Order: sequence, then C-alpha cells, then structure tokens
Amino acid sequence: MVLFDDIIKIENFLKLQLIKRGAESEIRLGDFLNTKAIYKIRVKKRYMHDDLDNYLRYERTRREAKILATAYASNINVPKLYAVYPSVGIIIMEYIEGNTLKDLLLSNHEKYITFSYYAGRELAKIHKANIIHNDYTTSNIIVRNDKLFIIDFGLSVYSTNIEDKAVDIHLYKRAVESTHASISNKIMKEFYKGYLDEIGEETGNKIIKRAKEIELRGRYVGERRTVWKS
Amino acid sequence: MITLGIESTAHTFGVGVFDENKGIIGDSRKNYIPKKGGILPREVASFFSDVAAEAIKEALEQAKISINNIDGIGVALGPGMGPQLRVGASVARALAAKYNKPLIPVNHAIAHLEIARYLTNMKDPVILYVSGGNSIVTTYVDGRYRIFGETLDIALGNLLDTFAREVKLGPPYIVNGDHVVDICAEKGNFIKGFPYVVKGQDVSYSGLLTFAIRLKEKGYNIKDICFTVREIAFSSIAEVTERCVAHTNKKQVILTGGVAANKLLNEKLTKMAENQNASYKPVPFKYAGDNGVMIALTALLELKHNITIEPENAFINQRWRLDEVEIPWYYSMI
Ligand SMILES: Nc1ncnc2c1ncn2[C@@H]1O[C@H](COP(=O)(O)OP(=O)(O)OP(=O)(O)O)[C@@H](O)[C@H]1O
Ligand SMILES: Nc1ncnc2c1ncn2[C@@H]1O[C@H](COP(=O)(O)OP(=O)(O)OP(=O)(O)O)[C@@H](O)[C@H]1O
Ligand SMILES: [Mg+2]
Repeated sequence: MVLFDDIIKIENFLKLQLIKRGAESEIRLGDFLNTKAIYKIRVKKRYMHDDLDNYLRYERTRREAKILATAYASNINVPKLYAVYPSVGIIIMEYIEGNTLKDLLLSNHEKYITFSYYAGRELAKIHKANIIHNDYTTSNIIVRNDKLFIIDFGLSVYSTNIEDKAVDIHLYKRAVESTHASISNKIMKEFYKGYLDEIGEETGNKIIKRAKEIELRGRYVGERRTVWKS
Repeated sequence: MITLGIESTAHTFGVGVFDENKGIIGDSRKNYIPKKGGILPREVASFFSDVAAEAIKEALEQAKISINNIDGIGVALGPGMGPQLRVGASVARALAAKYNKPLIPVNHAIAHLEIARYLTNMKDPVILYVSGGNSIVTTYVDGRYRIFGETLDIALGNLLDTFAREVKLGPPYIVNGDHVVDICAEKGNFIKGFPYVVKGQDVSYSGLLTFAIRLKEKGYNIKDICFTVREIAFSSIAEVTERCVAHTNKKQVILTGGVAANKLLNEKLTKMAENQNASYKPVPFKYAGDNGVMIALTALLELKHNITIEPENAFINQRWRLDEVEIPWYYSMI
C-alpha cells in the first residue's frame, strides 16, 4: 500500500477513462504497475459545507481502504487494494470485470436469483470478521465468473453489535424490495439461507429477527395488514 | 368529477374539495393548538368532533357547490393517531351513507406525495418527505411507491424541535417562517467532530441530537452548535436523496412536508439536483403540511380507477404502509 498522498495531483487521474459514475464517486479505469486497475475518485459535493465535505471524503476513503485490506485478509471476496490517497479521495484497486448483481437480476434472468444465496454467505463472512458494510445492496456486488465480489466499503465500521449487523440485512432487504420488487421474496429466501449456512442458525436467527424489528420502527412502516383490496 | 376529502390523522382537521377541471376549489383547515406541551390524542379528537361540521360547510361554501354534486367522499384512514383517525372516518362514513356517495379510502402519506406531484407538475420524481414525524425518500417503481431511504430513529423536524426545546430556544419553534435553529445558526461556524450517520440510504439523527445537547452543556457557543446540527442534518438527508436519484436515474426531485419551508434545505437540494442533472421543486408551502385538499385529489384519482370501499369496511389503519398501496393512476395524474 502506497501512502504519499501529499504529492498526488488529482488532475492526473481525471484523464483516465470514466466507466461509471456512482452516487458519490467517479469510477475510472487505468492501470497500476502494468495491470488494469480501478481508480475510485470521491468528488466534491457542492451542497455541503467545505469542512464537512473534506472530512467525509477523507474519512470514507481512508475507511474503505482499511476495511478492504482487512476483508481481503479475512478471505472475503473483495477487490485487492493497490493504493490510497485519502486527502484527494482516491483509492486504486483491482478491476473486477463483470456485471453488478443488480444488473444481472434486472436483466430478467431468474437463474441469477441463486446468487443471492452467495450474497448471504458473503455478508455472513463479513459479519464474522466483525465488519459492518452499511451499504450492502445488489449494486455493490460484482459477479465475475460466477463468483461474487463485494465493493463500496466507504460507510463501513467495525462492530460486534447485533443491531449493527441487523441494519445490513435490513438495508439489503429494502434495496431488493425497491429494485427487484417482483422477485424480492425469492431473492430474500436465498439470501437468508446463505447467511444462516455461513454464520450458524443460532446467531443468524437472532440477527435476522432484529432486522425485522428495525423494519417495524418507522411510522409509515407498519405490519403488513391489508384492510382492503382495490 | 368532483371529490371531497377529509384529513384527520394528526393535529389538523382538513376538508378539501377538488374538481377535475378546475383544480382546488375548497380548502378548510382547523388546526388544534395545544395549550401546553405535547399533543393529547383524545383532546385533539374531541376538538375535531367539534369543528368537523363547520369545516365541511366552509369547504363546500368556498367551492360553491352542494354536497349533492360531489362524486365521492375521500378519507385518510391512516397512518396516524387512532382517536383522530376515528373522527375523520366516522364523519366520512356518515356523509357517504347519508348522501349515498362512494367512499374512497386514502393513505395519508400517498396523499402528501400526490399533491406534491400535482402542484409541481413533476410526473415521475424522487420525493423527499420531511416533517415532524417523517423523513422518507421515496419514488415510484413497478406499480407502487417504494421506500428508498428513511430515518432509522427520529424525523428531521423532530430533531430540530427537540434540540431547540432542550437548549431553550423554543417553543415556539417557528418564528416568521424560519426555524429557531436556523435563526440562531445565522452567524455560527462549523464545529468539527459531530457524528454524521448515513447507512445505505438511511439517516440517523438520535446520535447527532445527544451530541449537540452535550456540547451545549459543555459550554460551546450555541450559534456554532446550531450551525453544525443543521448543516449535518440537511447534508445527510440531501445525500441519501442524491443516492436515490443516482440509483433510479430519475430526472426530477421534489420536496414536501413541513420542513420543506426551510431555505437552506432548499438550497442544498437545488445544488444536489443540478449535480445529478435533475430538476428540482419544493411543494408550495401552503400544501406541504397536512390538509384536506390532498385527500380530495388522491380520492379523485382513485375514484377514476374505481377504488372505493363499503362504509362498513372502512376501518382505520394506524400503521398503513405507503408501499402497500397500489398506484394504478400513477401515469394518469391530472
Ligand atoms: N473494483 C471494481 N471493479 C469493477 N467495477 C467497479 C469496481 N468498483 C466499482 N465499480 C463499478 O462502479 C460502480 C460504483 O462503484 P461504488 O459503489 O464503489 O461507488 P459509489 O460512488 O459508492 O456508488 P454508489 O453510491 O452508487 O453505490 C459499481 O456499481 C461498479 O459497477
Ligand atoms: N422553516 C422551517 N424550517 C425547518 N423546519 C420547519 C420549518 N417550518 C416548519 N418546520 C418543521 O416542520 C414540522 C411540522 O411538519 P408538518 O406540519 O408537516 O406536520 P407533522 O405533523 O409534524 O408531520 P406528519 O403529518 O408527517 O406527521 C415541525 O417539526 C416544524 O419544526
Ligand atoms: Mg456503490
């Protein structure tokens, strides 16, 4: 891991080919020591106070890199970290060539539903390493040769707390329900199976139960009790 | 087609009349103003019972029509507080039965979204709904509004009001249209180190609230604390809204709910939308809070799709989820 961010000039990276624009970053393709590499560049948000914006970009870049490194060491499928420059908000990492699980599921292929089983397994591995992802969605999972890679650890934290782990499951479920509405039940069934297989029934069921409690907290999120049908 | 709508989910008893051709033609609101402290549901309900007849009369007078010329009666059956909901439901059931009009069940949250779409003329937007009780990012996908993000604990308006109360800036919380936290923040500076909590597309404000109160006790400048609290609260909600826009690729953003009146939040969302090449509009303040018009409008849209309910089945549902409601009228907004 290279750390000399004070001499890095962001201009050099802005020439690289832009392949994706995330909600908070630009994803560019370049190379690093003669292999293809992803340059994830967190861009300035004009609607935030400068101090807050700088702090968040620095902190999320630093965190994402740190957690990518520990996750990799715990045998979780993540891109290899090549370099990080927190003060300019840049991470250089392995290029995972493939589609996001979101795009695969949206392409209408029922066969990809079983990949959600492995999404569950991978999240359980992440939790066993006491990492909380905090943005676990089908768009943050890339599938390369039928193997799932987890990305986007910018909001991640370390924690052993059940509530924190449950939030990951809650977020995945909500993302699935909003993005893959018509097949969400099947996707979640696979997911729970994978999660439980990897983390164990006892721990796993506790966390899943807590996730359901979180879901019921908001005012507009009542228990499903349809009074009438149109 | 003309509908009458009744709102009674929280502290406003509202009656609206909506005409398919002329738009809003009647709007009466009776706000319960608590004598002291919080809201006692039963007290509000009894206030509602007292003002209901007058509100209906007022709205019809404004609309210059007789109830006989109404095509349907809409009522918000939830979500909201039980005692108040029951008043609205009984009034609506009685009217429907007496005048032999179809009764139309309306979800209060959906009504907020539909009046927002109607008044901003945005056909397919991402909607941020922030009030004293709610902080929700939602948009339509596959037949329904889906919740993309929300608060994991307290709502944005509640954060501002509770903080103001704890540090004795209020009540009242709103002075000349501005929140007391905004007024106090005017000459403040940003303090580093406050918790900024975004998880996926959700925000969390309870840590921010306790942290801010603690700094006040430690003797930090209240202007700086106010400045920082609102900067973090608004930036994080703008950020989760931006995520929804980016992920759904929608090109319109609208803001509704009581906090929609806030200038800084509007500025932030304007810049955010520019950044995403989307257009942005807040709902006119008058219709950002609870009112009967939004119920009448939604009822009209439903009635055109034959969504009605028999009075004997019109039960209230205090926790009626907005994502339970099918929206077959979505693409045929008036
Ligand atoms: N290492 C990688 N290899 C290949 N593609 C990648 C890699 N990292 C990111 N991408 C692509 O870029 C997209 C956005 O990346 P990422 O999620 O890290 O950014 P983000 O700004 O946090 O986005 P969002 O908030 O939308 O999730 C991913 O969905 C994926 O398609
Ligand atoms: N200019 C403003 N800036 C910030 N907040 C504001 C402003 N004006 C009003 N508010 C806040 O809006 C909230 C009131 O919202 P609203 O009238 O929509 O009703 P509510 O009952 O709180 O919400 P709901 O009906 O969704 O439960 C209060 O918390 C109030 O402080
Ligand atoms: Mg991502």
